[in-house]
Amino acid sequence: MTPVTLTDEAWEDVDPGVEALVDKWLVQEGDAVEVGQPLANAVLLKTNFEITAPATGTIAKILVQTGETFARGTPIATLLA
Amino acid sequence: MTLLLSTATEDQLWNREQLARVVRDPRWRIGICQQPGVVLGCSQRAVHDRLHSEGKRNEIEVVLRESGGGAVLVGPWMLSLSLALPRDHAWSVQGSLHSYRQLGRLFAETLRAGGVGAHALCPEKMNDAQIALRDRGLPPLAWACFGDLSPWEVVNAEGRKLVGLAQRRRSTGTLLVAGLLVERPPWSMLCALLDHPDRLADILRQRTTDCARELRNTPTPLSVWVQMLHAALTDALTRNPCVASTEA
Repeated sequence: MTPVTLTDEAWEDVDPGVEALVDKWLVQEGDAVEVGQPLANAVLLKTNFEITAPATGTIAKILVQTGETFARGTPIATLLA
Repeated sequence: MTLLLSTATEDQLWNREQLARVVRDPRWRIGICQQPGVVLGCSQRAVHDRLHSEGKRNEIEVVLRESGGGAVLVGPWMLSLSLALPRDHAWSVQGSLHSYRQLGRLFAETLRAGGVGAHALCPEKMNDAQIALRDRGLPPLAWACFGDLSPWEVVNAEGRKLVGLAQRRRSTGTLLVAGLLVERPPWSMLCALLDHPDRLADILRQRTTDCARELRNTPTPLSVWVQMLHAALTDALTRNPCVASTEA
């Protein structure tokens, strides 16, 4: 399983303890996705980030639902590559 | 450069169009909405849907933006900037806080050049600024952009907010948006529209300031602020290299 995460670049200089929010999922579990395809939008410090597929495969499990928050390094989904 | 007269909907459309394709060069738009409107943050979708279902959009323009943060009351009291940057631009290639820092500093320098005492709030001073406001009985109101503070937003010496910032990052580019209060907004209107008690309008009044107030009611014409911002952006974005590793 490949974890889907918000990139380290997005967390650069952000205080530990600050969390991001999943704003919108653009795919569902079971969807086939291409590497680089936008999967979800997440908001961190008023910035809306596009989270993209790290590999081509199928969305196995969505771990963080719309409206929920997550910490740095936390996978928001898993992908079966 | 002339002052662009716009609407909240037109502004959001322009913003979406910029990131719909790869941004090759910095592009920006500075304008003002002649009519009042509410621009909600992307995470305020439920509020947006409620206002539409209640028919509030018949009273006032209500739109959802793609960047985060709280609601913004746009109108003739606020100058809006939208700035689209290539992903490899020096302002964009690092984290989002770096982009905020560059834009916040540019606004602060421009305001100071126009006689307004302002500075961009660095992350290390955020907590102190929030505590100072809270101690004055002014808690943050996260549902309103100008009711809260974020890193590198622009404030006066008392920590009252003048410029709000937000951002959208896609693989095609970065979009930075900013709102500068040139006059005091009718905060009661925002509270009424979003069903918040009117006493919160007083908190918004005291947590913010505007150019007219800072210049003791001898406001600089809008066209002058537009020209100054345009010149500052031209200097900072087009004269500097468009590739990483340059600390502006």
